[in-house]
Amino acid sequence: MNPFALENMMLITGFLLIIAGCYCLIRTYHMIKITIGIEVAMKAVTLFITLAGYVNGKIDLAQTFVITSIVMEVVVTVVAAGITINLYKKYGSMDIRNLRKLKG
Amino acid sequence: MEAILYICLGLMLIFGVMAVMFHSMTKSAIALAAASATLGIIMYELGSIWSALFEVSVCSGLVTVIFISAISLSNAEKKEVEKVYADKKRMALLPAILIISGVVLVIAAMSAGVSLPPANPAVKAANDLREILWNNRQADIWGQIIVMITGSVAVVVLFKERDQI
Repeated sequence: MNPFALENMMLITGFLLIIAGCYCLIRTYHMIKITIGIEVAMKAVTLFITLAGYVNGKIDLAQTFVITSIVMEVVVTVVAAGITINLYKKYGSMDIRNLRKLKG
Repeated sequence: MEAILYICLGLMLIFGVMAVMFHSMTKSAIALAAASATLGIIMYELGSIWSALFEVSVCSGLVTVIFISAISLSNAEKKEVEKVYADKKRMALLPAILIISGVVLVIAAMSAGVSLPPANPAVKAANDLREILWNNRQADIWGQIIVMITGSVAVVVLFKERDQI
């Protein structure tokens, strides 16, 4: 087997992007940075879905899943941006540890 | 075609890591947009044309605008970020972790003999994307509509004036 074949390289790149995204989630407390980490991991998921469609020869079916995941991605980003702005207005910082102070 | 895909895969990984590692949020958002654009090129090259269009226009365009708007509205300067995070080298380990992980993944794939089957261009989907989306995956459309409505309601609630709550 050739680990440097295109399909395997796509798989490895996706895993590395997921590791980068998870590392960002672990190491930072900045709300926008966390959202960017989620986005980076989502790019890997999109790559995996496209790869699955390419390998199986069902690229049109994969496209529908990718479109769905893009919609989810945008909604998550919009809600996270809204939370970020409100967090900054309330505490003057984007540190997510401030979220623990919220009540209700 | 394969050379373009290999280059785009490398660029996507580099831009993704840059998006995670940059201290400046604006630079991170721009690097993320670049990663999305390279992913769009990969998808286009693999024949996934419509989702590549969505990826470039929505993820590379709209999401970047949302990030930059959030950064502008919150007026968060780089110094504020640096003040909160005195540890500037918190992401310094990431390149080493990624290199080690990449080597481990390649060795594991070689030793276990794990490999994806090569793409078979002869097995192409007979159905059109529109047909699949509207007939076979109609539940996805409803799910997307519900998620979009939920997101809209969430944004309305988040930006409601304080005295109205």
